[in-house]
Amino acid sequence: MSSASQEHSLQPQRAAELLERVEKNIHRVIVGKERVVRLALAGLVAGGHVLLQDLPGTGKTMLARALATSVGGTFRRIQCTPDLLPSDITGSSIFNQKDLSFEFIAGPIFANIVLADEVNRATPRTQSALLEAMGEGQVTVEGTTRTLERPFFVVATQNPAEFHGTYPLPESQLDRFVLAAEMGPPTEAEAMEVLARREHGDPIADLTAVIDVSDVIVLQEACLRVVAAPAIRTYIVALLQSIRSRPDVLLPASMRSGVYLQRASQAWALFEGRDFVLPDDIKLLAAPVLAHRLGMRGRGRAADMLGEVLTALPIPPLRQR
Amino acid sequence: MAAVRRWLRLPASPIEHSVEGRAFVFSGFAVAVLAIALYGQDYVVPVIGVIAAGIGHVVSYRERNHKRGFWRQVFLAALVFGALFYLIADSALALFGGILPQANFAILLVAITSFDLKTRRNCYSSLWISLAILYLAAVYAWDYAFGILLALWTLYLAGFWIASHLKRMEAGVRVPARALTLMLAAGILGGVGWFVAVPQPTAIPISPLVISLPNFSSFKGDLESPALPLVQLTGDPTGATTSVDLHFRGRLGDAPVMYVRTGAPAYWRGLVFDQYRDGVWTATNHDYREMQPFVPPRFLPPAPPHNLGTFVQTFRVLRPLPGVINAAYPIESLYAPVTALREDAYGTFHTPGPLRPGQTYSVVSYLPDLSPESLRADEGNLSLSDYEREYLDSQALSARGRRLAADITNEATNPFDSVMALTSYLQANYRYTLDLPRVPTGRDPVDWFLFDNKTGYCEQFATAETLMLRSLGIPARLATGYATGDYDPILNQAVVREHDAHAWVEVWFSGHGWVPVDPTPGVPPLAATRFPNHWAAGGLARLIPHLTIGAPAAALGSVGALALIPVAIAIALVVVLAYAWLRRRRWTRGSRPARGESELLRLYERLQRRLGRRRAPPETPLEYEHAMHSSPFMGRWPAQPGRGDAGVGQPGGEDLLEEVTRAVNEGVYAGRWPNPRRVRELAERIS
Repeated sequence: MSSASQEHSLQPQRAAELLERVEKNIHRVIVGKERVVRLALAGLVAGGHVLLQDLPGTGKTMLARALATSVGGTFRRIQCTPDLLPSDITGSSIFNQKDLSFEFIAGPIFANIVLADEVNRATPRTQSALLEAMGEGQVTVEGTTRTLERPFFVVATQNPAEFHGTYPLPESQLDRFVLAAEMGPPTEAEAMEVLARREHGDPIADLTAVIDVSDVIVLQEACLRVVAAPAIRTYIVALLQSIRSRPDVLLPASMRSGVYLQRASQAWALFEGRDFVLPDDIKLLAAPVLAHRLGMRGRGRAADMLGEVLTALPIPPLRQR
Repeated sequence: MAAVRRWLRLPASPIEHSVEGRAFVFSGFAVAVLAIALYGQDYVVPVIGVIAAGIGHVVSYRERNHKRGFWRQVFLAALVFGALFYLIADSALALFGGILPQANFAILLVAITSFDLKTRRNCYSSLWISLAILYLAAVYAWDYAFGILLALWTLYLAGFWIASHLKRMEAGVRVPARALTLMLAAGILGGVGWFVAVPQPTAIPISPLVISLPNFSSFKGDLESPALPLVQLTGDPTGATTSVDLHFRGRLGDAPVMYVRTGAPAYWRGLVFDQYRDGVWTATNHDYREMQPFVPPRFLPPAPPHNLGTFVQTFRVLRPLPGVINAAYPIESLYAPVTALREDAYGTFHTPGPLRPGQTYSVVSYLPDLSPESLRADEGNLSLSDYEREYLDSQALSARGRRLAADITNEATNPFDSVMALTSYLQANYRYTLDLPRVPTGRDPVDWFLFDNKTGYCEQFATAETLMLRSLGIPARLATGYATGDYDPILNQAVVREHDAHAWVEVWFSGHGWVPVDPTPGVPPLAATRFPNHWAAGGLARLIPHLTIGAPAAALGSVGALALIPVAIAIALVVVLAYAWLRRRRWTRGSRPARGESELLRLYERLQRRLGRRRAPPETPLEYEHAMHSSPFMGRWPAQPGRGDAGVGQPGGEDLLEEVTRAVNEGVYAGRWPNPRRVRELAERIS
């Protein structure tokens, strides 16, 4: 399963095969939800972090666990609560009675894949400790900066409907997630299938890794080599501009979100075995990448506004000269 | 070499795809050509130019996506040099009539380059040359209607700009034609209604709109004919009852009266007067003879003694003029496009009616040697006509005037010295002014000028000198007409304006005939005796040998200059070829479209047209493909003519769209264009 790790440059076709293998593996646990699964995986390949939002019991945690198991590497889970402290995430030094010295006990953040469950239940202080690690790829504990092992991938989940005892993530912190996805309710057939699979046990117990951490790094490098043509850049810039010019947008899309959009599109192209980005990728990823960062005036939904913008915005002319 | 190449490099200009924009460019040119035709009375080349440019626009629009062919570029460059040759040949030798060769050259230039209007920059160049043509027409234009043409051109420039940018933005702007038409109609109707209903102010005359051409000033005077201001005309073509009245003079404007293309500067003499009574000059001899419009040398007096050569003048009338041929005298031959000519007793030619704007006539004149040496040693036996006594009639001069003349010339030993003494005395002691009070009632203008006022204008100087010369026994008369005018190097012509109207003295020398002498201060008293080299003031005009035609030496020189033309063209061709070669090197290296790109995109466009719905701008090629798959069109497509059942679906239609879409995506977004052979294969499957 690690033949890809020896390859220096990964062919797009091969990358698509690897990703398909992971997707299939995840689907042994997750019924349906192909889009969300692919989005989560794209976040991993793009080298970013993913926020899953939906009601409890829709499979957010299950998806994150299945993803972590399929990829291999170390996996830790942080269940966020209001009394969770930053040191509970990063770890702390403990006095060792035996050799009379302080010893650093690494927190759950020191893992390849971290599931931050119910991230909006942690206090802002704890949230920012987590988000610093996400942004910088390192943590500072008691004056010592420790670099996190690559790949480092955080899947955060939150329940947007519940407000009691939560601390909603501010926009600046939402901006650090490369994309946000909603699970959505299952269809009738999917629900039946879920029940059928759970009849005699939990399928996640049988799940094994299908690729290893080095494959993830190779995939991330392959993602960087995917070509985004000048027309694609023009399209992204035009998209950000037209969002900015919308009167119902209070907080427009940042430049970082444009970078993330390009990166996520590059990752998305790999799933289809392409080594170049299509405007279709941009259209598809615009809502997952941009919607959660936009501040809207009034009651309009950002995803709806994005849909309107995308149906009206011309793609750059095919003929460049 | 690299530096040269860097110097030649221009930033790439986008291909102009807007057909409307190109129509505006052509219209701009058409307006400029219309201006040339209207104001220059030049038709042949403009018509050819417009037709050629129209074809050229069609050709260059159809081939705008093709690469420029090397040999075609060379051919066009050669044509440009051909046009240049035309310019030189026509302005030098008037081979093609010599009408507005500069404008014709510019027209040919636009016509030739319109076969190569590929980029937006090319289109702008075409428009700017049109503006230059308009400028050349503006030189001849003297009414505000020209402003309409200028406004039209500006409109076309703006139209091109807008159309080009709209096309570039791929914005599908629909002109609200109905609303515009309605607005226009309402505007016109409203304007008419306003004109009819609202009383017009009669107290304030509305002066015509003045286009900002540099030398315009409105003419206000109390003369009958503003264009020939010195002479009181009565409409008699023989000039029998016309006169020059020294009591008053109109104010003269700056408006050009005529253009003169001439080989040498001279005074353009019109009417001549011999009798002076009570401040009024008249002509006493009313004889004339009828002539054909073309007067060959054999009908005219032979060349004067001491002749240096002949020179050609072509006059182009700009404002209505009385029917008098103004020209340098003595005349060798002349041609005027009228039904008949009359030569009066003084050698001046008259036309049956007034000269209209746009009319031209050509005169060949002798250039006699009028140097002081030659005149001082005047020996000859030319006899004056029977009217000699008129030329000696000085009874209008007062006694003190005679005394003054005698005093001034008491040291002179020959007539020429007397003439020069009088001339320099008048030039030195009297002041020239156009701002003169009225002559007091009862005073003779000459006496008043000589002894009281001591300032005057050309008629007074000339009259005083004429009468004083007569009192000394030297035959003299008054000549009127125009001074040479200002030489305009761009037009290669002298521009004669209203204020160039002039009067001077003609003195009889038995060895020279009538010799013009000008006593007005500030001008040389004697006419030029050489063909001046400095006449062609500068610039390109110096290279045009036309200016020295007439003098044998200069003619030889101009032959030499003509021999240089093929050499110059050869050198220029080499430069153009080198430039083309450099550009070719660059084209092959860089910015030109990838192989197969334009072919594939054209094919894609064609496919969309065939499918009956074109891709909307926000639609990606993939979305378009999916939309077409689910649309009912796909089932019926492609309808293959000749195979009968056009309504039945043909397999392969969907595959073709899918394949083309994939190729387009790979090309546009990955830069991998298919080779043209593959595109041709795909194209064959469409039809």
